[in-house]
Amino acid sequence: MNMDQERLNSMIIDYIDGKLNTVDKQFIEQELVNNADAYKLYEQLREVMHTIEKAEQLEPSAKLKEKFDDFLQSEIGQQKTKTVFFTPVWYRVAAAVALLVVGGGVGYWISQQNRNKQEILALQMEIETVRRLALAQMNNDESASQRMLGIMAVYESVQTNKPDDEIVDALVTTMNTDGNSNVRLAAIEALSKFTEEEKVRKALVQSLSAQRDPVVQIALIHVLVQMKEKEAIKSFKLIVEDEQVLPAVKDEAHVGIFKLS
Amino acid sequence: MKKQILAIVLMMVSTGIFAQEFKLPKTSGKLLISEVNNVTIEGYDGKEIVFSSMDGPKEKDKRAEGLRAVSAMGLEDNTGIGLAVQDKGNTVEVYQMKKMGGPKVKIMVPKGITVSYAHTSPYGSNVKFRNLASEIEISTVHNSIHLDNVTGPLAVKTVHGSIDVIFGSTINNPISIVSVHGPVDVTIPVATKANIAMTTSYGEMFVDPAIKIEFEDQGEWKKYGSNKVNGKLNGGGLDMRLSSTHNNIYLRKK
Repeated sequence: MNMDQERLNSMIIDYIDGKLNTVDKQFIEQELVNNADAYKLYEQLREVMHTIEKAEQLEPSAKLKEKFDDFLQSEIGQQKTKTVFFTPVWYRVAAAVALLVVGGGVGYWISQQNRNKQEILALQMEIETVRRLALAQMNNDESASQRMLGIMAVYESVQTNKPDDEIVDALVTTMNTDGNSNVRLAAIEALSKFTEEEKVRKALVQSLSAQRDPVVQIALIHVLVQMKEKEAIKSFKLIVEDEQVLPAVKDEAHVGIFKLS
Repeated sequence: MKKQILAIVLMMVSTGIFAQEFKLPKTSGKLLISEVNNVTIEGYDGKEIVFSSMDGPKEKDKRAEGLRAVSAMGLEDNTGIGLAVQDKGNTVEVYQMKKMGGPKVKIMVPKGITVSYAHTSPYGSNVKFRNLASEIEISTVHNSIHLDNVTGPLAVKTVHGSIDVIFGSTINNPISIVSVHGPVDVTIPVATKANIAMTTSYGEMFVDPAIKIEFEDQGEWKKYGSNKVNGKLNGGGLDMRLSSTHNNIYLRKK
């Protein structure tokens, strides 16, 4: 129906223009007589077409045309210089691909940077957690081996040989007060790796007079000799003179005095 | 078959006659043994700590009949074998009544209980640990220490005594064994992965040829006077420290 209507419209237009063949012409004339709607359409269309035909033919002035042509020419010339690099198609493709690669690369780099930052943050969090756990482990009253493992973990958590005060204090406290000699030895061993630190050197020197177990005394004398701490000579002399100290410890103190003087 | 059963029954009866026992139900926590001169501690699949005297039948002190032994520490013999055993919940403390000599004691310890042995007096004798798969802490001055079929972790220290350790098939981190005057003699499975540190001032160190130590790189300057060996066994792993100031260190393969 719709198609017929459209066909009818176009046929009516052609009829008005007088472009129809005789068969179609007859058919349309028949239709116009029989169909009131079609006739109405015909009337309207004829009016519109009549008006269009009647409308004045507007011609642009010669000057305007000239101006436009000039403008067009100059525009074409400009476009030519502009597009000269991209005229072959593969240049354009290459440019698009390059843009895609660069864009993608930048995007990837940014996301990578973000991820790195997040990873570093996560790592820092992890290190801090490990440090906390290790320090807590050093205070495990139940088990000497747990305290030793804590000392090792704390020692390993220190980076670039620069322990912070909290770690130094924890190790010094363990060295001086832990009930188990093997644990004290582990603390001394850990502290002996940080003898660049003035605080650590001082603590090691001071600790000698506080130690009573020969095993710990000997280990401490070894560390003090190894780090060439002249301040320790005074403590060594005290040990040599002390009646209570085991002869084996006195021997080590003697050797220490000999090596450091 | 009948004969065998009979023999076992007879054996049980005979040991029952000679050995006095004290039992304490416990499956976890820590056993603290202080100043017990002569003791063997053995791990087993049980649910109670069993203290027994290994002394043969002794002549009873007739004068002491009906009396109880007390010590200067304010302790009482509550076991009948010369030991004061105090149950403090998570820890069980064991003391010997007599300062010198004293009973020959055997303590059977259920798995999962850690054992701590401390001794300072000059009257200490042998201390033996067997078949223990839990942590052991030993701190003595005069005792010689024997550990057989243990796994660690170990924190063992003596001043004058020797230390002999034969590990089981596995070793638990960490191991710290220190003597001032006695030898340190340790037997480990060849496959043990460890970071090992051995220290001696006046002694020597001996290692089984089958145990390969990857020595730590000392850098350009070798310290010929150094008395410390740092190295790795089988690529490194658990932390193992052995030290004898005046005596030798022996590292054997199992």
